[in-house]
Amino acid sequence: MRRVTIAVGMIAVFAAAAVAAPLTKGRALAIMHQRHEGMEKIGDTNKLLRREITSSSPFVPAIQSGAATIAGLSVKANGWFPRGTGPELGKTGARPQIWQTPQDFIAKLHNFQGAAQAFNAAAKSGDMNAIKARYADLNGACKACHDKYRMDMHH
Amino acid sequence: MPRQISHGHAPLSAKQPVWDLPIRLFHWVLAGLIGFSWWSVHNDHTDWHIWSGCAILTLLIFRLLWGFFGSSTARFSSFVRGPQAVLNYLRGGWNGIGHTPLGALSVVALLVAVAIQVSLGLISQDEDGIYAGPLAGLVSSDTSDKARDIHELWFNVILGLIILHVAAIIFYRLRGRPLTKAMITGKAKIDAGSPPMRRGKWWVALLCLGVGIGVTRWIIAGAPPFGASAP
Repeated sequence: MRRVTIAVGMIAVFAAAAVAAPLTKGRALAIMHQRHEGMEKIGDTNKLLRREITSSSPFVPAIQSGAATIAGLSVKANGWFPRGTGPELGKTGARPQIWQTPQDFIAKLHNFQGAAQAFNAAAKSGDMNAIKARYADLNGACKACHDKYRMDMHH
Repeated sequence: MPRQISHGHAPLSAKQPVWDLPIRLFHWVLAGLIGFSWWSVHNDHTDWHIWSGCAILTLLIFRLLWGFFGSSTARFSSFVRGPQAVLNYLRGGWNGIGHTPLGALSVVALLVAVAIQVSLGLISQDEDGIYAGPLAGLVSSDTSDKARDIHELWFNVILGLIILHVAAIIFYRLRGRPLTKAMITGKAKIDAGSPPMRRGKWWVALLCLGVGIGVTRWIIAGAPPFGASAP
């Protein structure tokens, strides 16, 4: 597990390095769009997951499908925050602090990714107690990052 | 809200009780929680915002019950009046204690507006899906999102009513009626000949509050058996 974490971390660092070269405006806007769509999909999936998980008769296959969706998107999030895709360029919910304290941001992103994988594993097991516990962790990871790095975005 | 005003035909007597303690506590705690709700949701404390809304729900249920079983000035039957009474009041033909017929409109509007706001909040979820009101699971995700949008807009209605409320208090203050003081001390000079306030019983107030807390807890649990169990 630890090895996986290190590997994921290194991939993230390389990914960040790969996009460290200045982005063209078009490329940056495309990433912001992709990020927005991805985050929105995570949010919408989470809204449906909450309904299932708090339901008196949860439908486990729906939880499994949602958990897999979020786990998959969480990995893609590595490429969503290159420098130069902040509010200085266009409309976004990403706060500039993301690029001011990148170590903290990346740590929180990794927390989210770890929580998404753990939730996905719990969903696969079908054990509702584990699902609820890992779902609470996942929400905690979302919240920790959003409180600090997400701002209102009116569209 | 305007509560009493002299129109010169009746001399003011010494200070008499007009607002009981439960009404005063209700008023100031509600005012505080509305402010807190606004602050918390704009400062990344959506969880506190939801708890604050639940506390307001408890207050509203209490107020509804106290409006039937409370002191005379708290009872809806003593202040909810038709348009004729409002006109009559504006012409100076009203003599009583508690909410004036015009002030009563403001009270009812505020209570209804806050009740609508709480109801919308109960079924709302935040944009990111991290937070949800306790009854959000009873409606679809789309409905929860729409409820949140209306919840946000509806605050402006409440704000408008609060501004009107404060403006009326300033207006009466300039005419020599310190309404805020009465809402703090519970006493005011009343028109001679007005019937005194009949006090509600303290244990009835506690019972009303108990029902408010009980119903709120049931709603926080997702309103079983109709809804889900809380996470």
